[in-house]
Amino acid sequence: MKRRAILAFMLDRPGVLNKVSMLIRKKMYNVDTLTVCSSRIDGISRMTITLKEDDEAKVLQIIKQLERFTEVISAKELDTDHSYWREVAIIKLEVDTDYLKQFKGRFNFEILDQKSEDTYILQVAGATRQIDTFLDEVGREFIIEIARTGVTALEK
Amino acid sequence: MTGKNLLLQTLKTKGVKYIFGYTGGAIMPIFDEMDKIGDFHFIMSRHEQGAAFMAQGMSRASLSTTTPQTGVCLTTSGPGAMNLTTGIADAYMDSIPMVAITGQVATGVIATDAFQESDVVGVMMPICKQTYMPLAADEIEMMVHEAFYVATTGRGGPVVIDIPKDVQNQNVPEAYSFDAKAFCPYLPGFFYHPTPEREPLQRAIELINRSVRPMMFCGHGVINSNAGSLLQRFAEKVNIPIAFTLHGLSAMPADHNLSLGMMGMHGTVEANKAIMEADLLISFGMRFDDRVTGKLNEYAKNADVIHIEIDPSEIEKNVGTSVAINADVYRTLQVLLDDPMLTYKPRRRWFERIEGFRQLMAEDLREEIEKGVGDDNGLLMKSIVHHLSQLTEGKDLIVPDVGQHQMMAARFYNYQTPNSWFASGGAGTMGASLPMAIGVKLARPTEQVWSISGDGGFQMNIQELGTIMEQKIDIKIIILNNGYLGMVRQWQTLFFDGRYAGTPMQSPDFGLIAEAYGVPYRKVETLEDVIPALQQAIDHKGAIVLEFICDPSEVILPMIPAEGGFGDMIIARPSQNDPSTTNTKGEKS
Repeated sequence: MKRRAILAFMLDRPGVLNKVSMLIRKKMYNVDTLTVCSSRIDGISRMTITLKEDDEAKVLQIIKQLERFTEVISAKELDTDHSYWREVAIIKLEVDTDYLKQFKGRFNFEILDQKSEDTYILQVAGATRQIDTFLDEVGREFIIEIARTGVTALEK
Repeated sequence: MTGKNLLLQTLKTKGVKYIFGYTGGAIMPIFDEMDKIGDFHFIMSRHEQGAAFMAQGMSRASLSTTTPQTGVCLTTSGPGAMNLTTGIADAYMDSIPMVAITGQVATGVIATDAFQESDVVGVMMPICKQTYMPLAADEIEMMVHEAFYVATTGRGGPVVIDIPKDVQNQNVPEAYSFDAKAFCPYLPGFFYHPTPEREPLQRAIELINRSVRPMMFCGHGVINSNAGSLLQRFAEKVNIPIAFTLHGLSAMPADHNLSLGMMGMHGTVEANKAIMEADLLISFGMRFDDRVTGKLNEYAKNADVIHIEIDPSEIEKNVGTSVAINADVYRTLQVLLDDPMLTYKPRRRWFERIEGFRQLMAEDLREEIEKGVGDDNGLLMKSIVHHLSQLTEGKDLIVPDVGQHQMMAARFYNYQTPNSWFASGGAGTMGASLPMAIGVKLARPTEQVWSISGDGGFQMNIQELGTIMEQKIDIKIIILNNGYLGMVRQWQTLFFDGRYAGTPMQSPDFGLIAEAYGVPYRKVETLEDVIPALQQAIDHKGAIVLEFICDPSEVILPMIPAEGGFGDMIIARPSQNDPSTTNTKGEKS
């Protein structure tokens, strides 16, 4: 199923997140990722929701019903060709320093902390697929814990 | 100045005269203040759900008067608020503006499972247009203004204001001031487009002029924007037949020569057949509910659709459109009426075709109405409604409950008064009629109001007879008692091989109940007694209960089976020999 990103701007009021997530549940979707942050304008939040749906019309329905909420100012779909979708992962893993070095250059990661000789905390930023590839190549078996922000997106 | 005082003063400025509700711990300060101010008529319901429907009745019936009032209900926290939910969800489905005010436990104990605490905002959020919870007295006035604005702007809907008890009693700071006149709610995303745009309108006019077999649909939006007479003039101008949704009924006279009556699951055969053959549907203020369309992929396959609707999220939701006009129905009709490009066509063939459809069931229905009794010698609901319609010349206000009798009332009453039909449609809430009729009567005191219920629905809010007794509400109550939940029974007859699971119902002696509430009562068992009984109700000053013993085998036809298409429409009654319709003798309670 195609992954869709919906970008919505809304008033920063209590309960808005609840309304949005309830709508998505009512429409029988499982939220893939959901990120909220403040926007350029004070008092207005910016939300990026990703979910899986092939049918364009159904996504349009969600957008229209999102816009029906009094607090939602605007909502639209972002496609990957015309927008950047990015996320950040923080990873605690157990690897040797030399092993880690080989990924430098190919992946955009930063060492936040070295807990012991072979325990690192890294930060990786990029597209969802890049992060997935990084995890695959490093080897998921070395990972102790991982935190991912979910997708945030911006139009080109 | 306290929060409770500010709340009530603001309600006053919003034109609120009637408050429906039920007191309790967390709302006592507001009730106390209301009593002190003394400017409101407080109507105590006997259950909070009743209050919600009374408020709905007030909003619905008053919108076509010179003094529209948004219905307001006032209840306590916890169970009081929870009992409102059905009425609020119902108002949301039917786009009825309404303001529900609930008490909440004090801010200090919120979310500690305090006595009679429930998460009202959390519960109400998905079933109303907006929820508010002021956390300080100085927020109340602004919130109430915004609440009324949201409830009544664009597509109407209910809003809920949940006020903690300490906030009700709190004093506002001395420097507090609020300029209601200059106030404009800060809702940058909440706008609606009352005026139609030129470009889609032009395309719509082209389609209308080009069409050979066009049809117009009259939805709730026509009633809500008081556009019935405009719609009638427009229809006459372009000579296009009109079908009505359940909520569009009474927008214009039901016997107008362009009217095809109600469409959809239990709509008239002429309306539904015409939709199947139409090449253009012009729909005003409706949402293409599944009860209207049947199976979507078979619906009006050959027709272009012009959809005029105030709520953009309804456009393209169920039915694809050729031209979408996101605007207020009244304004759109105003513009259309003045448009010189629109042409009148005689459409002789089209009307002949429709006349042919009309004849398909006309004879059967006429016979049934004349016969007046069914297979089991019980009275026929359609015949009773027909007589009521004749005796009142179709001028009275009808508040049906939900079920078979509702469809009878929709089909066989000849609506003449604009905005004279008040039904729970989208939610289909049994028990809506009795309390809603109270609100309707208070909003339109000079008109005659009939509450028509089945034996099932009547018992769902039967306690509101107490309100009727106490407030001396003059409504005429009809119980069409067939000993079953009629609509479900009809489905069981048609689709469940006549197995009547959970539908037979024993009723109490309604005569004794009416007597207990001091309301006169008359039981009608014979055809000869139908007209005299109705006449007695008309002549009687004050409430009266008429119980008609109806025939359980009666069905409302045509019927489009749920999930069926218009092609599956059932026109003929199930055969007399079919055991499912004849084995009911002796089963009656």
